[in-house]
Amino acid sequence: MADKKTVITLVCERAADLNSLLDKNESIVGMPDVHVVKFPCSGMIQPLMIEAALKAGAGGVIVCGCQIGDCYYREGNKMIRDRLLGERPPGLKKAVDRRRVMALWLSRMQKQRFLSEAKEFVTQMAKLDQEESTAKAAS
Amino acid sequence: MTSSVKNETNNNWLKQVYNQFIEAANKLTLAIEDGINTAITSKYNPFYYHGALPQFYLWVLFLSGLLLFAYYVPTIDNAYLSNRLINAWTSVQYITNSLPFGGVIRGIHRYSGDAMVLFIFLHAIRVWFTDRYRQYRWIQWATGVILLLMVLFIGQTGYYLVWDERSLLLTRMTVSALDALPIIGAPLKAWFLNGDTITNLTLSNFLFIHIGLSFALLFVLWLHYVRMTRPVITPPPAVNFILVAAILLIVFLVPISSGNMANLNTQPNTYDVDWFFLFNYWLMAHMPMSVFWISMTALAVGATILPWFVKTVSPPVTPAEVVINKCTGCSLCYRDCPYQAIEMVPAPAGSRFKLLATVNVPRCSSCGICVGACAFDAIDLPQLPDATVLTQIKSLAEVK
Repeated sequence: MADKKTVITLVCERAADLNSLLDKNESIVGMPDVHVVKFPCSGMIQPLMIEAALKAGAGGVIVCGCQIGDCYYREGNKMIRDRLLGERPPGLKKAVDRRRVMALWLSRMQKQRFLSEAKEFVTQMAKLDQEESTAKAAS
Repeated sequence: MTSSVKNETNNNWLKQVYNQFIEAANKLTLAIEDGINTAITSKYNPFYYHGALPQFYLWVLFLSGLLLFAYYVPTIDNAYLSNRLINAWTSVQYITNSLPFGGVIRGIHRYSGDAMVLFIFLHAIRVWFTDRYRQYRWIQWATGVILLLMVLFIGQTGYYLVWDERSLLLTRMTVSALDALPIIGAPLKAWFLNGDTITNLTLSNFLFIHIGLSFALLFVLWLHYVRMTRPVITPPPAVNFILVAAILLIVFLVPISSGNMANLNTQPNTYDVDWFFLFNYWLMAHMPMSVFWISMTALAVGATILPWFVKTVSPPVTPAEVVINKCTGCSLCYRDCPYQAIEMVPAPAGSRFKLLATVNVPRCSSCGICVGACAFDAIDLPQLPDATVLTQIKSLAEVK
């Protein structure tokens, strides 16, 4: 069996408050494969960073900003949303597997929602990995 | 020595209490907004249009005001021109009682003014609670306070225009308040009355102040928006319909009427207070004039300079930096910057490109949105270079 792949979370530090959920390795307590990288605003996340993470072997990437409409810096979350949707340059490369990228728009209080969504995402990514490895083995 | 130490601990204590208060207020705001988002989705959440709401009511006020202006007669007495008395009060009566839907238009004009003040306060409270009024946003806050004062004064002049007993009383109270001011009091009083006493010219002056200052609002609003890229100034249509419907509902539930016509030979002494606009007259009646002026001035000045006194926990602003030899002049960061802090200037001689991005430091919020916009790694936050972030992401992503 292949090694379990990691999930990288790129999160705005004003969105879902993950500080209380982190262990000393900057990953979520109870989910050691989910790592967290914090940004001053989700608008700072470059599509390039998502591509780099997937290329380096991450199983998936979670982008988490504040609720759409509420951004401390006015429009950061709308910017990264539009970039992910390809409506604003620079966008994600076409080759990037869209199933491996999830965007969440959560306010500071919604860390429980983040946990449940992340758990779901991790199981989905594991499923995806399995499908891909069986497809590879079959061919 | 001891006193200064004590002062500092006092200050720290105050700071802590203030920070805790803002923290709790921030959480409360977010909780309310989350609740509204679950109910009606974030697209229609009025809290996300808190600045656009008073702006919308301003358009409603302009439109309804234009209709009222067509029939309003700004005099107290034009007996020389007509057998019947036609003045401000009778013209307002005509608008209200005889003109089709005149009463509705008048009601819309009055209640939209109240709604505008209410939403301006909500707007101010939200930016205060979410800590979005300091540092690079000071110009929005300072012009906001000026706008609020202007709106309050415009609303008060609206109350003089009706020319019922309350108008007369308010005019006289204003005159005595201006009279109490040293040096500038007398000229201000002459300006306000357009002469020494209340005459026909007084009413036309009130109308001019009411309308002229309303248009001056547009100029200050320009200053209010000047550093905002894509300011949110229109709520979605669905919200607009609800805003108008709310006003219409109040207009029909509580129709507007005037008091008795003002009579210069009498001295009315009681009136209904509109708490949105006339609270300062209530204060004026309940304290010595000097205390009134000093406290009002202190309040206005204090509110304006508030952003420079509040130092809370928010991170220090370290402006973004352009990497000159990497910038291609594509202007993506310039377009995406939410505070118009990036300017495109001609590239230095010898460059392969025509333009170069530069950061206007006092406007920068160090949010990093420009970093997200840059596909060439040419703009950076000094405290968090994207190269560092990329290495961190790569090392985390590697399968262990």
